[in-house]
Amino acid sequence: MTDPMIALTLLALLIGLLAAGVWVAVSLTIVGLTGLVLFSNAPSGLVLASTLWGHSHSWPLTALPLFILMGEILLRSRMSDDMFTGLAPWLSRAPGRLLHVNVFGCSIFAAVSGSSAATAATIGRMSIPELTKRGYPESLIIGTLAGSATLGLLIPPSIILIVYGVATEQSIARLFIAGILPAVMLVTLFAGYVAVRAWMNPDLIPPMDQTYSFKEKLRASRRLVPVALLIGCVIGSIYGGLASPTDAAALGVVLATILAWSSGAFSWSLFGAAVMSATRTSCMIALILLGAAFLSVSMGFTGLPRNLASWISSLDLSVTALLVALTIFFIILGCFLDGISVIVLTTSIIMPMVTAVGIDPIWFGIYLVIVVEMSQITPPVGFNLFVIQGLTGIDILRIAKAAFPFFLLLLLGVVLISIFPKIVTFLPGLIGN
Amino acid sequence: MGRLLKKIYDICGAISGGLILCICVLISGQIVLNAFGRLSPGTLPSTIPSYADFSGFMLAGATFLALAHTLRAGGHIRVNLVTSRLPKRAQFFMEGFVLIVAAVVIGYAAWFVGSLVLESVHYGDVSNGIVPVALWIPQSVAAFGITLLLVAILHTFVELIQAGEPILSTPDEV
Repeated sequence: MTDPMIALTLLALLIGLLAAGVWVAVSLTIVGLTGLVLFSNAPSGLVLASTLWGHSHSWPLTALPLFILMGEILLRSRMSDDMFTGLAPWLSRAPGRLLHVNVFGCSIFAAVSGSSAATAATIGRMSIPELTKRGYPESLIIGTLAGSATLGLLIPPSIILIVYGVATEQSIARLFIAGILPAVMLVTLFAGYVAVRAWMNPDLIPPMDQTYSFKEKLRASRRLVPVALLIGCVIGSIYGGLASPTDAAALGVVLATILAWSSGAFSWSLFGAAVMSATRTSCMIALILLGAAFLSVSMGFTGLPRNLASWISSLDLSVTALLVALTIFFIILGCFLDGISVIVLTTSIIMPMVTAVGIDPIWFGIYLVIVVEMSQITPPVGFNLFVIQGLTGIDILRIAKAAFPFFLLLLLGVVLISIFPKIVTFLPGLIGN
Repeated sequence: MGRLLKKIYDICGAISGGLILCICVLISGQIVLNAFGRLSPGTLPSTIPSYADFSGFMLAGATFLALAHTLRAGGHIRVNLVTSRLPKRAQFFMEGFVLIVAAVVIGYAAWFVGSLVLESVHYGDVSNGIVPVALWIPQSVAAFGITLLLVAILHTFVELIQAGEPILSTPDEV
């Protein structure tokens, strides 16, 4: 069989397995096995066993369960309850007023949890009733929530960046640092959009209900300060080169536990629930990573990605044309697959192509995460849409419509980092190699 | 029998959680030693020997031992976009198909990871850190975890046949 035929056969097999509801990790393994058995001479069982073992105990991967655990502990502490009351006094004068609580609340929480669906659920549970009660327009409440919650994927420490870093053997510390400026840019875009909407149509936003003195503001947000400090410590220690992401993650777990206990309302049973939930999530992600690692190894034996890469370079495509094509491809893929699966599939097959045209792998990681963020709010499979539907009972298409401006803002973000790649590469460049 | 199996999945899941906490304690211990090394050099040893290796092995243990527990809790991601729109009867058959396919693949993996363990025993393979660890020890945990996953898949298949209707669930995304 010729290469394109092999690629199409394997792709059809993968789509078939996924559509049938076979677990993603198992589907990846089956496609890997098929590639090895049919299109190479490698001993498939041996390769499978050594890949499963060899990729299961790396040091960068150790950061994964620890960061997940940190988020699970903070999720169960009191901090999420304080997010609305803590942020509202500071934002009541901004154009768009309390809608910004969604944007900034999600950003802070995203830094803690690294999960987009958990961010939408936790912030939405408090902010949707409060904002609706005060008379803010439904489309903007839901739109800001759905859009901002996607930031959970990008704002470090981000689980999905660890997955990308482990799968492509890039430095996770550099990926985290590279994510900082794009995250700030997206938060600014979201907040800016809310402000512009409020200026254009002042009747949209209900009047200020209450003024606060500086002291009252501080008191309202006193429980948020330790969390901000925690995130600062964790990111700061990575940025300052004091700790590897894995070290910083262990430190984060210890600090989060202390913080949760000292805030009251935390117990051994909550701690146990946090540990078990983190264990399951990390097991699920690790299994997908193992399946993807095996698929990558198998594809390496068949030589497909290499040939695909040289075919792409022979086309003499401009980087822009390639990125436009990839973005469309990922948005479609993201309509049907979850973010982690999109990332690991990409790294198995598309990475050689990307490096062949001279795209920086760190930059590509950030680009990929923003594109995956967009797919979180597109139907039919947009996890944030499901979460918000679960919270409000509103029809999913209406939620998708409310979230659409934020989809466009994310797209604008992708265009911006493509025109000005320095937004991504500036900070990691500062710390050198 | 079913209850005994459920107990085993949960115990192994709990051990996984314990291993993750151990990783956390081990790395935190190393961070404390680093800090001491900066403040007053020489009072304490500067490193826990091979702590990165041990963290890695515990991570592998945590991942493999939790496989069955995570499966039973509906924690592994699958796409149900297509199947959830099928009639109940068709869903039932699809789930049977999914479980059989998964059992074959996981059984294959369990077999070869098992033979990897035997190979490590045969050649006396050790890790190449400061503290050499015989590789068959963490590898047998991996082999056991994958085998337990196979058992959990077959167990779910039996339950599917008994229930006569679709039973698999899908997690929220992380």
